[in-house]
Amino acid sequence: MGWSEFIYFAIAALSMWIAGTILLYLKDRTLAGDILIVSGLATFSLFIILLWIKLGHPPLRTMGETRLWYSLFLVLVGYAAYKRWGYKWLMAYSVIVSGVFVLINILKPGIHNTALMPALRSVWFVPHVTVYILSYAMMGAATISSLATICKRESVERNPLIELTDNLVNIGLGFLLLGMLMGAIWAKAAWGDYWSWDPKEVWAFITASAYILYIHSRHSGTGERWNQWIIPVAFILLMITWLGVSYLPAAQGSIHTY
Amino acid sequence: MDSQSKREQEIALKQIIVISAVIAAGFLLQIFTGSVVQEILAAPVSIILSAAILSLLFIKQGDLLQQCGSARVSLILIATLLIISMLMGIIPGNTIKYSWPFALIYLMILVNLSLATGRRLRRFRLWRDLKFILFHLGLLILLIAAGPGSGDTKRYFMTVREGDTEWRGVVSGGTEVEELPVALALLDFDMEEYPPKIALIERRTGTSLPAGRPEYIDAAAGNRGVIGEWSISVDSFEYPKMKAPVAHITVKKGDGVTINGIVSCGNYFQPYHLLDIDSVYSFAMTYPEPQNYTSHIEIYTKSGLKKNGTVEVNHPLTAGSWKIYQYSYNSTMGRDSEISQFELVYDPWLIPAYIGIVMVMLGSLLLIIKGGESNGVE
Ligand code: HEM
Repeated sequence: MGWSEFIYFAIAALSMWIAGTILLYLKDRTLAGDILIVSGLATFSLFIILLWIKLGHPPLRTMGETRLWYSLFLVLVGYAAYKRWGYKWLMAYSVIVSGVFVLINILKPGIHNTALMPALRSVWFVPHVTVYILSYAMMGAATISSLATICKRESVERNPLIELTDNLVNIGLGFLLLGMLMGAIWAKAAWGDYWSWDPKEVWAFITASAYILYIHSRHSGTGERWNQWIIPVAFILLMITWLGVSYLPAAQGSIHTY
Repeated sequence: MDSQSKREQEIALKQIIVISAVIAAGFLLQIFTGSVVQEILAAPVSIILSAAILSLLFIKQGDLLQQCGSARVSLILIATLLIISMLMGIIPGNTIKYSWPFALIYLMILVNLSLATGRRLRRFRLWRDLKFILFHLGLLILLIAAGPGSGDTKRYFMTVREGDTEWRGVVSGGTEVEELPVALALLDFDMEEYPPKIALIERRTGTSLPAGRPEYIDAAAGNRGVIGEWSISVDSFEYPKMKAPVAHITVKKGDGVTINGIVSCGNYFQPYHLLDIDSVYSFAMTYPEPQNYTSHIEIYTKSGLKKNGTVEVNHPLTAGSWKIYQYSYNSTMGRDSEISQFELVYDPWLIPAYIGIVMVMLGSLLLIIKGGESNGVE
């Protein structure tokens, strides 16, 4: 069982995920949706197991192989978060992003063989990236909901969206910190140092500090209007970390070149 | 109510002024004494400093200490840290992380964390306070290991030839050679490579075709593939020790033209070999890329420890408080490299650092499960 069969498993799993998610949106009773999503997860896992058996080692050596794990974990964690928090959009989002990774694997078979450089070949690579993707999703949603609160003219304190925003930031920060610390453990194993204040690391630190600032600001009884403003600002910092760092003069020579 | 909040504002202002004064003192220190030299933190300073900070956990807090450990002071400190780390992220080639203002902010954060954690520990109720304790005590331990503890860390580079034993190393960032309390014997250096690839190139420029999105096929005996209008089969592939890889290939064009011959990427003493198909294009072989490299070593320490093992990228070897990392090799010779380069890190604070990291990770899991439910605004 190799890559040539991937397309069948992938399309089967993806269709089940999409159908399941649509059912979650359409129906109040979600048993059928749950069954579809879990079956999709089982199908996708089965492919990974079969590939693993065929290769004789865990499929973690090439870009294509690591992308398989992103696709699986994204839906897995998205589904777990949906079960816990009831955010259907998060389920839908994780299916869409997972679908993008699946499509890349189907449409560009060349990348299955693109070798991972030695430092990237670590068990931490996949969870580190997956957890960051999820955190970014949460923070994106929190930003939209905080902007909605800010733009409403009436009293910010009473806005029912505040609770949703606060939940999203807290969960998102949980993922963000997990991603950061996994990165630190990985860096320790690969380079002998958890934290070297590399430009990407500095900005990841800035981003996390901004969200931690929000949590403490809320705890200290600062006006709610101020608190809500921290969130979009933090999201701009997050975007700099994610996309902008390589354009900053301070980042020439960063070890994080992606 | 109104006079209450006015009083609060006055206190906040005072706190901001005091913190700014400490940072200003940091600037003066910076101007007169230069950056913080990490060596001043070496034991016993690191131990005394950590003990002092941790003792704040147990001290009974009067008005002043209660303020120092308050949520508002933490807010001011985190905001300050945010600003200074933004400078760090914007100014190219800065050394802010070694500056006195940064060190003093770090110290104030340690004090604030220790006081706040101590207060919470005294009225600890498991489910209510677990998240707070995991985060703040974990962070406190981690920051002590990474801050005051950093003075005790030592890093060296060591290059060892196959068959030799070496005990001299070069301090990281320096040039002088020192005798270390650990010695390494390199029994064997091994490198796995991804198979080299066959490419179609334009001879004059060396660009791989089709231009813009080049295609390659693995050079492995029996492999077949198509590049542009050519179908390629690899008849044989050989890669003996100390020699460059050589593939014998047969290429066929759609109109029936068939050419065969050898391609090789060459190595440090053998020339490369192209298979020309006309006056412009040739088939060529790319260099094999490293997949993984491993050193089989024996470690001896002054304290009498002897240990045998392998070191590879992402898998260091531990001997007491030393960790040995695979760092590099002779890259021109690739898998035939007869030397291996290691980084040796001595870090007695490693275990506390990991304890702190694990505590904060557990806290993060609680945050994901509990969301914002228990940080109610006071
Ligand atoms: C890993 C990052 C951090 C997280 C996730 C975090 C989270 C929290 C949370 C959720 C609370 C509210 C406690 C409650 O629910 O009762 C809190 C309070 C507090 N935090 Fe943090 N915190 C972090 C880092 C820090 C840092 C760096 C400092 C010090 C500068 C700090 C100092 C405080 C203080 C003083 C309080 C108030 C304690 C009290 O009122 O008893 N925290 N933090």
